[in-house]
Amino acid sequence: MILEVNGLTKHFGGVRAVDNLNLVINQGEIVGMIGPNGAGKTTTFNLITGILKPDSGTVKFKGENITNLKPFQIARRGIVRTFQIVKYFPNVTVFDHIYIGAIAKNGLRADRKTLEPMVNETLQFLHLKDKKNVLVKSLTIPFKKRVELATSLVLKPKLLLLDELMAGLNPAEIDEYLELLRKINRELGITMIVVEHVMKAVMRLCQRIIVLHFGRKIAEGPPEEVSRNPEVVRVYLGEGAKYA
Amino acid sequence: MLKITHFLKSKKTWFYILISLLLIALPFMVSEYITYVVVLTLFYAMIVSSYDLLLGYAGQLSFCQGAFYGIGAYASALFSIKAGFPVYLSIPLSVVITALVAAGVGYPALRLRGAYFAVTTFFLAHFVYLIFLNEVWLTNGPLGLRGIKPLEALGGIDFSSTTNYYYLVLVCFAASIYILYRTANSNLGKMFISVREDEDLAESFGINTSLYKLVAFVISALVAGIAGGLFAHFFRLLHPSTFTWLTSEMVVIMTLVGGIGTIFGPLIGASVVMFILEFLRFAPELRFVIWAVALIIILIYEPRGLVGLVERIRRVKR
Repeated sequence: MILEVNGLTKHFGGVRAVDNLNLVINQGEIVGMIGPNGAGKTTTFNLITGILKPDSGTVKFKGENITNLKPFQIARRGIVRTFQIVKYFPNVTVFDHIYIGAIAKNGLRADRKTLEPMVNETLQFLHLKDKKNVLVKSLTIPFKKRVELATSLVLKPKLLLLDELMAGLNPAEIDEYLELLRKINRELGITMIVVEHVMKAVMRLCQRIIVLHFGRKIAEGPPEEVSRNPEVVRVYLGEGAKYA
Repeated sequence: MLKITHFLKSKKTWFYILISLLLIALPFMVSEYITYVVVLTLFYAMIVSSYDLLLGYAGQLSFCQGAFYGIGAYASALFSIKAGFPVYLSIPLSVVITALVAAGVGYPALRLRGAYFAVTTFFLAHFVYLIFLNEVWLTNGPLGLRGIKPLEALGGIDFSSTTNYYYLVLVCFAASIYILYRTANSNLGKMFISVREDEDLAESFGINTSLYKLVAFVISALVAGIAGGLFAHFFRLLHPSTFTWLTSEMVVIMTLVGGIGTIFGPLIGASVVMFILEFLRFAPELRFVIWAVALIIILIYEPRGLVGLVERIRRVKR
C-alpha cells in the first residue's frame, strides 16, 4: 500500500466536492479515476497534493501522514501530478524546463555534469530530443503536455497523478500515450492514478477503476466489472445504456 | 587553448574589454563633475541589476529598492557617527541590517502575490522614508544627516578624492555585477525563473517557492544596501528626500527601460536614464516631462527595453 486516503472531505460553500472518500492505492498499480463532470476527481488530486487542505480526513503516503504538508513537501516525498489545464514554464526551452525539474530533485549543489545526462535520458524517453532548444510556449498542446510529463518523470516520483493527460489528443496519439504510460509503469516502477474522460483509454490502461459521483465513491473494481455495474451505467453512461 | 583563441576572436569579448578600459580611464578623460555623475550612476547600476534578479528572474514586482538603498546609507552613516565605527566596519554592518530588514519584511509580504505584494513593498518604501523624515533624534530629520566621515585612507590611498573613490565604487560594482550574473545563470537562478514562470507548477515540482522568493528579495536588498553604504560616505550628507518612493520608482523604470531578465540590460537602463536626466538640466522644469515622453516612446516601441532595441538593430543589420 503506497497511498491511503481516509474519510477525505472538502466543501466549497454548500457543495460537497469530495465526501468521505476512502482510497487505497497499491505499489505498482495503474488506477483509473472516472466520473461525470464535477464528481470531485480534480479536487481529490488537489487534496492529495496539498494544493487544497481537506475539511476532514487524512492522506497517508507510505505510512506517513502528509495531510497538512505544503505542496512542495509532498512533491519531494514522491507524489507528482500533472494539471488538467496543462501548466508549463512558457519562456524557457524544453531542455531548461526539464533541467529545472532535475535541480528540484537533486538540489542546488548538483552540477551540470550530473544533471545533464538525466535530462537527456528523459528527453530520449519521451522523444523530445529534437525539440530540446525550442521555447515551451511555442509548442503545440500535446507537446506541452509531454514536456510537463517529462519534467514530472525527471523528479523520479513514486506516485504519479495524471489529470486528463489524454484530453484533446487524436486516437493515434492516445495509442502512443497508452504505450508510454505502460512503459513508465513497467520500466520505471511508478504507481499511477489516472483521471481520464477518454473511456476507451481508461479501460485499456487501468487494472482497477474508481468511480466518483458527487464526491462519493460509487464503485470500484476491474474495468469490466465497473462497466457492468448498474449504478455506474446509470450515473455515468446515462439511463438505459446497456454496454459501456 | 582553443577556448582562449575563441574567446579572443569573439566580438563580445572585445566589447567588454573596451568598456572596461573606458571605465578605468574615465577619470583622466572627463571632468570631475562627470566622474561624480558616473559614481552616482554606478550606485544606481548596482541597485538596478540586483533588482533585476528579483523582477526579471524571480518575477516579483516590488517598489522598495530605494528604501533598502536608504537603510544601507543611513545605517552606515549612523554607525560611523553615533557609534564611531570605522567606515570599513559600518558599511558591512549596514548591509547586514538591510538584509535583516528585507528578510523580516519579505517573509510575511511574499505570502502575498503579484499586485498585493507590490503594494505592500510600496508602503514599506514610504514607511522607511517617514522614519528618515520624522525620527529626528536618530536621523536629524528634514535637516539632513551631516558630518559623515569619508572612507579612511588605506595604504596611502585617500578615498576623499572623487577619483579614488570612483575606483573603489567601480571595483564594488564590477564584483556585484559578476556575482549577480553568476547567480542568475546558476541553479539558483533557474529556481528563480521557475517561480517567475509558474509558481503553482514550481511548487508541484517540489520547489520551495516561498524560500526562493525570499532569497531573491534579500539578495536584491543586500546589494542595494552596499550601494547605500558607499553612497553615504561619498556624498557625506543624507537627506530623506533622496529616499522617497520616487527613488524606488526610478529603479523600476530603469530596469524596464533597460530590459528585464538580463542583468546587463538594467545597467544600460540606469546609465541612459541618469545621463538623460543630467543632460536635461538646462531645462529644469521640462526635464521630467521630456523624460516621461521619451520613456513612453521607448516602451511602446520596444517593450523589451533597450536590450530588445539593440537586438532588433542587430537583426536588421544581418
